[in-house]
Amino acid sequence: MLTRFFLMGLDKKAGVLLTVLAVLAVAVPVMALGTAPDSPWHISTHTVALLGKYLCFALLALSLDLVWGFVGILSLGHAAFFTLGGYAMGMYLMRQIGSRGMYGNADLPDFMVFLNWTELPWYWHGFDQFWFAAIMVMLVPGLLAFAFGWFAFRSRVTGVYLSIITQALTFALMLAFFRNDMGFGGNNGLTDFKEILGFDIQAASTRVGLFVATVVALAAGYILASAVVASKLGKVLIAVRDAESRVRFLGYETDRYKLFAWTLSACMAGVAGALYVPQVGIINPSEFSPASSIEAVIWVAVGGRGTLAGPVLGAVLVNFGKSYFTAALPEFWLFALGGLFVLVTLFLPKGILGLAAQLRDRLPARATVTAKPADQKGV
Amino acid sequence: MSTEDTLLYLDGVSVSFDGFRALNSLSLVIEPGEMRAIIGPNGAGKTTMMDVITGKTRPDTGTILFEGRTDLTSLREPAIANLGIGRKFQRPTVFEMHTVWDNLELSLKAPRRPLKTLTYSATREDRARIEEILDITRLSPRRDRPAGSLSHGEKQWLEIGMLLAQDPKLLLVDEPVAGMTDAETEQTAHLLKDIAGKHSVIVVEHDMVFVRELGVKVTVLHEGSVLAEGSLDTVSANKQVIDVYLGR
Amino acid sequence: MHRAFCWLLAAFLALAAPASFAADLAPLVRGLGAGSYAETEKAIAGLAETGDPAVVPVIEALQAGDLHVRKADGAVVVAKRAGNGYALTDPLTGAALGEADRNAVEKIRINNALRRTISATLGALTLMSPDAGTRRQAAEAVFKSRDANALDALNTALAKETDERVRRAMTQARASVLLAGEAPDADKIAAVAVLQERGDQDARALLNGAANTGSDAVKDAAMKAIASVEQRLALWGAAQNLWYGLSLGSVLLLAAIGLAVTFGVMGVINMAHGEMVMIGAYATFLVQEAFRQWAPGLFDFSILVALPVAFLVSGAVGVAIERSVIRWLYGRPLETLLATWGLSLALQQAVRSIFGPTNREVGAPSWMSGAFELGGLTITYGRLWIVVFAFLVFGALLVALRKTWFGLSIRAVTQNRSMANAMGIRTARVDALTFGLGSGIAGLAGVALSQIDNVSPNLGQGYIIDSFMVVVFGGVGNLWGTLVGALALGGVNKFLEPYAGAVLGKILVLIFIILFIQRRPRGLFALKGRAVEA
Ligand SMILES: Nc1ncnc2c1ncn2[C@@H]1O[C@H](COP(=O)(O)OP(=O)(O)O)[C@@H](O)[C@H]1O
Ligand SMILES: [Mg+2]
Repeated sequence: MLTRFFLMGLDKKAGVLLTVLAVLAVAVPVMALGTAPDSPWHISTHTVALLGKYLCFALLALSLDLVWGFVGILSLGHAAFFTLGGYAMGMYLMRQIGSRGMYGNADLPDFMVFLNWTELPWYWHGFDQFWFAAIMVMLVPGLLAFAFGWFAFRSRVTGVYLSIITQALTFALMLAFFRNDMGFGGNNGLTDFKEILGFDIQAASTRVGLFVATVVALAAGYILASAVVASKLGKVLIAVRDAESRVRFLGYETDRYKLFAWTLSACMAGVAGALYVPQVGIINPSEFSPASSIEAVIWVAVGGRGTLAGPVLGAVLVNFGKSYFTAALPEFWLFALGGLFVLVTLFLPKGILGLAAQLRDRLPARATVTAKPADQKGV
Repeated sequence: MSTEDTLLYLDGVSVSFDGFRALNSLSLVIEPGEMRAIIGPNGAGKTTMMDVITGKTRPDTGTILFEGRTDLTSLREPAIANLGIGRKFQRPTVFEMHTVWDNLELSLKAPRRPLKTLTYSATREDRARIEEILDITRLSPRRDRPAGSLSHGEKQWLEIGMLLAQDPKLLLVDEPVAGMTDAETEQTAHLLKDIAGKHSVIVVEHDMVFVRELGVKVTVLHEGSVLAEGSLDTVSANKQVIDVYLGR
Repeated sequence: MHRAFCWLLAAFLALAAPASFAADLAPLVRGLGAGSYAETEKAIAGLAETGDPAVVPVIEALQAGDLHVRKADGAVVVAKRAGNGYALTDPLTGAALGEADRNAVEKIRINNALRRTISATLGALTLMSPDAGTRRQAAEAVFKSRDANALDALNTALAKETDERVRRAMTQARASVLLAGEAPDADKIAAVAVLQERGDQDARALLNGAANTGSDAVKDAAMKAIASVEQRLALWGAAQNLWYGLSLGSVLLLAAIGLAVTFGVMGVINMAHGEMVMIGAYATFLVQEAFRQWAPGLFDFSILVALPVAFLVSGAVGVAIERSVIRWLYGRPLETLLATWGLSLALQQAVRSIFGPTNREVGAPSWMSGAFELGGLTITYGRLWIVVFAFLVFGALLVALRKTWFGLSIRAVTQNRSMANAMGIRTARVDALTFGLGSGIAGLAGVALSQIDNVSPNLGQGYIIDSFMVVVFGGVGNLWGTLVGALALGGVNKFLEPYAGAVLGKILVLIFIILFIQRRPRGLFALKGRAVEA
């Protein structure tokens, strides 16, 4: 029953994507750990972390596509959920430092000692346990999303208004986390991590482990999102996207549907953030900035909104471009990113995957519309 | 007749928009199993009446009771729909990205809660029912087409099909034959008469030929209240009604 | 002819008079160096009697111990150490008199009795100065120093004083001296009343002193006075906060008005709006550079020239954006949002590439710098002008939309595009110009903001979220709503600041708006009707 549920969303696109992920999960460890450093097949831990970072962004893009592509909620604040997940993980990593910090205090992270705090704030308790942090990674963004969405959807805030208040949300969080007395390290955020689950966080094998974990999380997120989207609930979501009030007159409480997708999406974003932090080694309030949220939107748009696989592709491509250009032509990057926003919205409204589909349909040999699988009618 | 025996009971319902009275102390009673035609010039408030019944617009004053007991004025749209009131819009609204089949499946009477729909898979009966509606609405050949690709008339029929799938106690049908050919109009009239056997129906229509075809009791709406009520012939002979339609 | 001559003569005489007056002082100054303390005191009294302000530096020099007698001719000179010897100057004229050996001059000694005389004389002299401003300053100085020696001088000066403001200052100075020193209770209580009327922080400090040290009756009076002063201070504090709120509100208003046009009237989400503001600020910078280069004397007018320039530059950029990007995206607000965000990134980078990433120096014209006091309020001219300017722009826009043909076309197009088209209004052109208008107003905001904010490529970023909040809070499509929204948010922000701090205040405001929008999704002054629901 459950496997059927998870398998029903999987199509050809999913097959390609999951295969690529499976190959990565095997090839990257082998190349990073199993080859000599001077071998042409070798990849450095730096590259592994970079790839891992891209995949975290891909998971964020996937979560964003779930709400933007399928429910029509353009969130300009998804970085908030991502970063909250990141902070939850960061807090665990901070607690793992223990007395190895600069001040050697076994209980308090360095920045608290620096601020002359004598006691761990209540909300830091429990984060020394991995399982607790792992729950918080999803629970905190999920609860925030739930509360926010509950108000927003009930009062029927939609469209641009919703986008703008999501932006205000992440902006407010950014301002809050910049404050030292919030107890999250202020400007500097959380950093100088030492180990995760007892493994040295700098070690190549740990990096590879984190990478594999990210691949698994992305694959799981993808399968889950596909299943949700393919279910009848997914069809309701699409109907809400296209004609919300009509759906209400069919008797569906659209608020609850939106809330479900929105909260699920926030949890996924939180997981992405949690995997991101140990791989880049730092989390600070600037991740909350509205600009990072909007950047995530462009990944989705580039890849093709409403396609799930597209955003994954888009996130990897755009971030690869970013890494390349910010190193090679730093001045050029913002022009490129800005141009990307304009060009994609004007000329590529369905993104790369949409374009591919269009081109395929144009080819005369394949012109016949592929009929939908016959699963809904008689079996 | 007491209010308990009515299916829908409107009393003194008023709505105004920025000072303009769209409904002016409107009262109307529909009995179980009844089919009623509502006519009236443009802007008479026919669509607004459906809006207040279905919860889209809140009335400023007045009572609206469903089955003599449920007060509709305090309920939200989904709750009203789940009581068994279905609606076809004046401008056909179907889910354009979904196939005809999916449109019907979404409308089909089934649990509406998110977790139920997440794990829903169509039963044999569900599929049979959808096939049946496809036949009735003559959309079987189009079942796998996106609804957006249908013609205007087909969309009207799909929307009626969605109403059937919902299986409501009361159907509100707003201008179902607008933009249809004469032949289609006639078919629609037959279809609605079939439905009327098992459900109550309120049809709003301009098309007098169509209303005559239905052959049911007619209510004339004008400036937000009832001007006349009775058979089509009686109201057509009513002096006031003639003034409203022709005299202006 | 004859009259003119008389005037000229009179003027000449008036000019000549001080010179002869100064000549009379010389022997008196010489008397300071006569030898004995008694003679010096007599000379001081003589100098004081002249009431001439030119005497003041001489006596100050005496007080500071700089006054010497040149042994060679007995002349009194100011001697300041220079290397091994002294540099000499004339005490009255300040003219240099060459250098002298250490032994060639002798210091004029003063004892404690003399010191008192000197400070009393100094106070009296400045208190008697013919210039009312100087007298007032002197009185303020006494108020601060609470110097009991100045009391006699104060009393004399008060008896003669005719200027109302100076009189008040002197009375307060007298009260401060009395309260700080020894005086009968009745006098002290009268002094308390005077200070209570003054009612500022200084007065409160003095009263606090009296409340701690005085006799019971004085203590009592002082306590009451403190309560009243504190109430008054709180009132002024609130007024100051109100002013800050108004000031922030008008900055928000300036930033948001343009958005009210593009978003409110046209329904276009322009995320590059902040960059239009930024471009206006850079236009101001360029105009000022041009003035510095070619007409530094006219620098005070640079801002006035910058206004139309900024309006046109930002407006032109706006029109270009509308024609090239936005017009393809009408009816797709979310896409418009993304595309204009992309434009904002590119514009920021363009400005960064051209002008560099650092802040640019934009100067304030003289009529915008400085501050004045209004009761207990301190108001800077820069802020005052921005408030005035914001309201002017708002009023001008209102008139433009209501009374001009262009405004009529804008409203026609927004209400019913196809009908307007059918009536011969060129809708595409109206769109472009409307967007240009909104952007141009943003440029004007840039001129104003260049006066109070750092002119950097990021300037606009700081305002975009706030501007959207204002427009959404006030109600889209309603200019009055924007006005009320801006002032309300500005006021609330500044009101919260003293309690919550700037950042927390801002967060609270954001949370408030988020909640508010959820209560009233269409803002304070919502439009109703079908058009909105579509
Ligand atoms: N949401 C609304 N806002 C403003 N006016 C409305 C709204 N809904 C209906 N109206 C007005 O109410 C009147 C009745 O409209 P409607 O019920 O659509 O008439 P009918 O369907 O009989 O043609 C019309 O004048 C219409 O403009
Ligand atoms: Mg109608």
